[in-house]
Amino acid sequence: MTDMDIRLTVNGRLQHAKAGVMRTLLTVLREDFGLTGTKDGCSSGDCGACVVVMNGQVVNSCMVLAAQADGSQVTTVEGLASNGELHPLQRAFGGTWAFQCGFCTPGMLVSCHALLSSNDNPSREEVLTAIAGNFCRCTGYQGVVNAVQQAAAELRSANAEAVLQHD
Amino acid sequence: MIDSGAVGRWVSAPGAYDIVTGKARYCPDLDFPGMLIGKLLYSPHARACIRRLDVTAARMIPGVIAVLTHADIPGENSYLYAEPDQPLLVVDEVRFQGDAVAAVAAIDEQTADAALRAIDVEYQALDGIFDPLAAMQAGAGQVVAGKDNIMMHKTYRTGDVAAALASAHVIVENTYRTQWAEHAFLETEGGVGLVDADGGVTVYSSCQAPHRDRMQIARALGLPESRVRVITPYIGGAFGGKDEAHVQIHAALLAHAARRPVRLIRGRRESILTHVKRHPFIVHCITAATRDGRLLAVKARAIVDAGPYSNATHEVLNKFGEFIGGPYTVKNLEIEKIAVRTNNPITGAFRGFGAPQAAFVYESQMDDLARKLGMDPLEIRLLNGVDTGTRMYTGVVVREGKAMKASLRRAAEMMGWQQRGELGRQPATHLRRGWGMATILKGSGMGRGLPDHAAVLLEMHRDGSVVLQSGAADMGQGIVTVLAQLAAESLGVEMSSVHVVRADTAQAPDAGASCASRQVMVSGNAVLRAAVPIRDSLLQVAAEKTGVARDRLVLHGGRLHVDGQAHDLTVAELARRALFRGYPLQSEGRYELEYPADAPEVTYRYSQEVFQFCTQIAQVLVDCETGQVAVERLVAVHDAGKMINPGGVYGQIEGGVAQGIGYALTEELRVTEGHTLNASLENYVIPMALDIPELEMDVLEMPEPLGAPLGAKGIAESPIIPTAPAIRNAILDAIGRPLYQLPMTAERVLSALDAAPCADPA
Amino acid sequence: MSAPDYRAPELLANALGIKREFGADARVVAGGTDLILRMRDKVLSPKVLIDLRRISLASISRHAGEMHLGAYVTLSQMLASAEVRVAFPALVEACRSFAGPPIRNRATLGGNIVNASPAADLVPPLIAYDASVVLASLSASRVLPLMDFFTGPGKTVMEPHEVLTEVRLPLPPPRTAASFTKLGQRRSMAIAIVNLSARLTLDRAGQMSEARIVLGSVAPTAMRARAAEAILTGNEPSDEQFEQAANMAVAEISPISDVRSGKDYRKRVTGVLVRRALMAARHKLAEVGRND
Ligand SMILES: Cc1cc2nc3c(=O)[nH]c(=O)nc-3n(C[C@H](O)[C@H](O)[C@H](O)COP(=O)(O)OP(=O)(O)OC[C@H]3O[C@@H](n4cnc5c(N)ncnc54)[C@H](O)[C@@H]3O)c2cc1C
Ligand code: FES
Ligand code: FES
Repeated sequence: MTDMDIRLTVNGRLQHAKAGVMRTLLTVLREDFGLTGTKDGCSSGDCGACVVVMNGQVVNSCMVLAAQADGSQVTTVEGLASNGELHPLQRAFGGTWAFQCGFCTPGMLVSCHALLSSNDNPSREEVLTAIAGNFCRCTGYQGVVNAVQQAAAELRSANAEAVLQHD
Repeated sequence: MIDSGAVGRWVSAPGAYDIVTGKARYCPDLDFPGMLIGKLLYSPHARACIRRLDVTAARMIPGVIAVLTHADIPGENSYLYAEPDQPLLVVDEVRFQGDAVAAVAAIDEQTADAALRAIDVEYQALDGIFDPLAAMQAGAGQVVAGKDNIMMHKTYRTGDVAAALASAHVIVENTYRTQWAEHAFLETEGGVGLVDADGGVTVYSSCQAPHRDRMQIARALGLPESRVRVITPYIGGAFGGKDEAHVQIHAALLAHAARRPVRLIRGRRESILTHVKRHPFIVHCITAATRDGRLLAVKARAIVDAGPYSNATHEVLNKFGEFIGGPYTVKNLEIEKIAVRTNNPITGAFRGFGAPQAAFVYESQMDDLARKLGMDPLEIRLLNGVDTGTRMYTGVVVREGKAMKASLRRAAEMMGWQQRGELGRQPATHLRRGWGMATILKGSGMGRGLPDHAAVLLEMHRDGSVVLQSGAADMGQGIVTVLAQLAAESLGVEMSSVHVVRADTAQAPDAGASCASRQVMVSGNAVLRAAVPIRDSLLQVAAEKTGVARDRLVLHGGRLHVDGQAHDLTVAELARRALFRGYPLQSEGRYELEYPADAPEVTYRYSQEVFQFCTQIAQVLVDCETGQVAVERLVAVHDAGKMINPGGVYGQIEGGVAQGIGYALTEELRVTEGHTLNASLENYVIPMALDIPELEMDVLEMPEPLGAPLGAKGIAESPIIPTAPAIRNAILDAIGRPLYQLPMTAERVLSALDAAPCADPA
Repeated sequence: MSAPDYRAPELLANALGIKREFGADARVVAGGTDLILRMRDKVLSPKVLIDLRRISLASISRHAGEMHLGAYVTLSQMLASAEVRVAFPALVEACRSFAGPPIRNRATLGGNIVNASPAADLVPPLIAYDASVVLASLSASRVLPLMDFFTGPGKTVMEPHEVLTEVRLPLPPPRTAASFTKLGQRRSMAIAIVNLSARLTLDRAGQMSEARIVLGSVAPTAMRARAAEAILTGNEPSDEQFEQAANMAVAEISPISDVRSGKDYRKRVTGVLVRRALMAARHKLAEVGRND
C-alpha cells in the first residue's frame, strides 16, 4: 500500500496530507491538521459529531475516505468564526444553552450553519430536520432550535441594515 | 439600587467560547510528544477460562512499546471504589464480555491493533450463568468462585404491612420489568497517562470523580497518592457512567510501563460492551389502599441482575428501596432487595441510581389504583402526597415539601388536565390519545452517614481577578458555571473575572464525585464559605479608605457600593490595597452536608434528606395498529430550591426528559447469553431531534432550609425519573391497557392491545 | 490485511478495465456509507477501490418516456429534484425517510441498490416504478429489470467485472399513483422494520388495471406480493379490497426476527402498512383526478 497525496482546502487554507486509503477525512482533519474541533462519537455515521461541510454539503467526515475528499473544500467548526469574530450562531449557542458537555456542538453548529445558508428564517421543524442526524445526549435540542432562530433573526436584521445602507 | 448579580441570571457557561470554536479539548483531543495509542484486548466469550496467555509475539512487533497482562501490574489488580472486586486485567477467568485480558501501547492505531491480534490466548469457554432467577437457586454454580451469587439481600420494614394488607379495601399487585440501559455519553471513556520526570504519573481523565480516580490509579500502580495527579479536561457527558474509574487506570499503567505518554480511548462499540449499564429490575409490588384512596401499605420485592462485579449495585438498590414508596405518606412498607451475580453486563450508576426504576413501579401502581377506585390520577396523588413536616417511611422528616403538591397542581394547570378530553381522544379510527402523570421525589447528596463534603480554594489577585480551584468534575452538567456565579456574586465581581480551573488534583482539594445531584450543595457552599475572609479583607480596606462603617458597604459588579450607590473604588483597587496591607485574599472553603444531628427516628440507612420534587405530564398518541407511541406534549415542573443558573436548570430538565423518553419507549440493550447484540448507536435506539416534543417546563423555587447555598437543591437526576411512568400512564389512558415492562416498544404496546383491542373511548 | 489501492479514473472504460482485471477484488466506492463500515468490520477486504466520481454518473435526465438517474445520484439530489418529485413521488418519500441530512448528502442510488440490503429504502419504490438497471462491463452493457437483480441479502446477479451505471425509470402511465411507507423505531436515522411501496393504475372505468405491492425488510430480498396484487387487479379500489390484499400480503411473507423487531410483529405491521400504502395511493389518485 502506498500513501496518497491529498490536497484539501480547509477553512480557506490549502492543506496537504499523506494518507493510506482507509484513513478518513475525520482522522486527517484531527491528526494531520490538528483540527480537533471535529469530534468522533461513533465512527459509523450514526451520531453527527464529525459533521463538516464538504463542497457545500454537510457530510459525516467519519464516513468519507480522505482519498474521496481529495481536491475538495472543507469547512469545520474552526472555520465558522471570521477574523476572530464569532458567527452569530456561535454566540447564540452559548447564550441559549444549546449544549451542556459540548461534544456534539461542533457537528451541530456546522449542520445549523449550513441550514442558515439556505434558509434565513427556519421553523422549529426545519431546524429539527436539519439536525436529524446530529445526536445530543445532554440536551433535548430545545436550545439548539432557539439558538438557530435567534441567530437567523440577527442575520436577517443585519442584512436588512446592509440593504438600507446600500440604498 | 443594585441589580442582582450573577446568581439567578441567564448566563453563558465559562467554557462556551472554547466549545463553540472547537478549541475545547477533551481526552481524545490531547496530544503529547511521543504519545502512544493504548488499546485493550477482550475475550470473545462472555465466560471463559484462560488456559494460555502469551504476549511474546505482540511484544516483538516493531512499534509496540508495552504489552501488559495481569502479571505486569505493579500494584493491586482490582478496581471499583467501594468494593474493588473487578480485575483490571483478567487473571484466569473472564466473567463478562467487557473483562479486559491484556493492554497494549504502540506508536499508532494500526500497530496497536496488530499487537492485539498477535496476542495468543487460549480460552476455554465456560457455561455462563445468565438468568438471575436461576442464579439464585441452590446448585446454580458460582459466577465468581468462592462468592455467593446473591451479592446482596436486604429487607427493610416499617409499620405492620400484613395487618394493613388485611384491612385494605383495594389492592393492586403487579410484576414490573425494566431493561439494561446505556448512558451513551457522546464522548466515550478515555484517559491519557503521562509519566512525570520524577516517576509519578499524571492522568487526564474523562471522569466524574478525579480524587477517587487518583486513589484507584495509585493503588494499581503501587504509588502513594501524592505521586499521582488527575486532571479533568473537557468531558463529553457521563450521566453516572463515568462515576467509576475505567480506562484511565489502564492508560496510567501503560504509560508507567512504556515511560511515554499513552492515550487510551474506547471505541463506541467497546464502550457499550464494557461499562456499567442501568440495572435491569424485576419488581413484584403490592399496593394497598382504603376505599377513599388513602395508601395503606406498599410491599415490594426487587431482584436485580448485577453482572459479575459489585460496582454501584448496593447504592442503586439502596436508593430504589428508599424511594419505592414515592412522594407519598406510607405508614406500612416492606421492601426486599436482592442483587444477583450473573455473567451478564456489569451494572452501576446511571442518572437517578435506582429511582427511575422505583418510579416506574410506584407511579404505575398509583394509576392502576386510581383506575380501580375510579379516582382521578391527580386527586389520588394530592390525597396521599407528602408535605413539609411529613415523616416518611424511612423516618426522614421532609424539611421542605411544598413542591410535591405545588408541582402537581402547576403541571396539571399547564397541561390543561381538567379539560384534557376536549382535544379528542380518537383523532382517527386507529389513533387514541391519552394523558398520564407521574410525580416523584429524589434525594440529593450521598446520604446520611456517608462522607459528603467538598473544599475549594479561592484567590483574588491584585487586579481583582479571581481563581477558583475546585475538584468537582464538570461533565457538562454545569458545575463550573454555578461555582463561577457563586464566587462572582459573593466577591462582588463580574462572572468574567472568575476563572474556575477544571478539576486538577494537584491544585484543588477533594470535592468528591459529581453525582447524586450534590455538587451545587457541597461545592457551592464551600465557595460561599471561601469567599467570606476575602470579602472581609476587601471591605476592611474599603472601610479604612472611605471611613464609612462596614455594614453600609457592599461589593457588586466589580465596584464598591456605599448605601447602595456606586463608589469610585473598584474591587481591583481594594484588592491591590488589601495585598499591600497584608490582608488575606486567599482562602479555603469547606462544607460538609448537614443532617439534623439527633435523628434516631431515621431508620433507613444512608437516607437522603434534601428532596427534589417534580411532576411530569405526558400527552401521547398511540397508533393502535402498529403500537407506535408519539409523545405529543410533555409538561415538566421541577423544584430546584433556588435557581442559580437558569440555563443549566432548564437544560438539565430537557436533557433528562429526552433521556426519559428514550428509556420509556425505545432504549434497551439486547443481551443474549452475556453478549450485547445492539452495541451501536444505530441499533441502540435513542430518540433524535425529531422524536422529542417541544417541552413545556416550569421551575418552582422552594428553598431548602438547611445548608444549601441560597436554598439550591440540585436538579441533575430528577428530570429522567418521572418521564417513563408518565408516558406509561398516558398510554394506559389512551388504550385502556396497562404495560408493566420497559421500554414500551411498539411491539410491546401492540401485544398489550392484543390482550384486548382498542376500546372506543368513553 | 493490507489497505486497498484507490483509483479514481476519468473514463468509464478505465474503471471497467480495472474491474476486468480485478473482478470481485475491485469494488466501487460511491458514498461509502455501506462499504466503509463493511471494510472496517473486515466483512469486505477489496484490493482496489474504484471511485467513479470523476466520471459523470450523477445526472438526472429525461429520455423519451424515461427518466435516467446516474448511479452516483445522491439521496439529496433526488430530494431536491422537482422532476423526480413530480414523476416519482414515492421515491422521494423514501429519500425523505432515509437517515439524516449528512448521510443523504453522500449515500447514492447505486450504492443502495448494489448493497442489496433487504431493508434498503429505495428499492421498493424503484421496483414499484418498474426500474431497470444498466450494468456495464468492458465487453458489453446490459439492461435488467431491478426486480430480477437481487438474489439474496447482499447478493445480486451483477457479475464481478460489471458496474452499475444508471437506473432507468419509465414515466408512469396516466391515472397512476404510488406511495411509500416505512416503519422504523424513530423518525430519522432508522433502518426499516418494514418498508414498502404500493402503486395503482386505474383504467378509464376507474378499475385497477394494475397493482403493485413491493415489500422490503420481510424477505431476503425486496419482493412483490403477487397474490395480493392479483386480488386488486381488475377491481375497483375499495377499503374491503385493500383489507383483503393486505391480509394476503401478510400470508405471502415469512420474515425473520432481528434486533429491530420480532417476526410476528413484522408480519402484522406489514398488513397495516400495505393497507395504508394502498389508501395513500388511492388518495393521490383522487387528487390527480381533481387536478385533471
Ligand atoms: C448512519 C447510516 C444510516 C443509514 N440509513 C439508511 C436508511 O435509512 N435507509 C437505507 O436504505 N439505508 C441506510 N443506510 C445504508 C446506506 O447509506 C445506503 O445503503 C446507501 O444508499 C449506500 O450508498 P453508498 O453510495 O454510500 O454506497 P457505498 O457504500 O459506496 O457502496 C455500497 C455497495 O455498493 C457497491 N457499489 C456502489 N455503487 C456501485 C456501482 N455504481 N456499481 C457497482 N457497485 C457499486 C459498493 O462496492 C458497495 O459494495 C444507512 C447507512 C448509515 C451509515
Ligand atoms: S463520528 Fe461520524 S457520525 Fe459519529
Ligand atoms: S451537549 Fe453533550 S452531547 Fe450534546
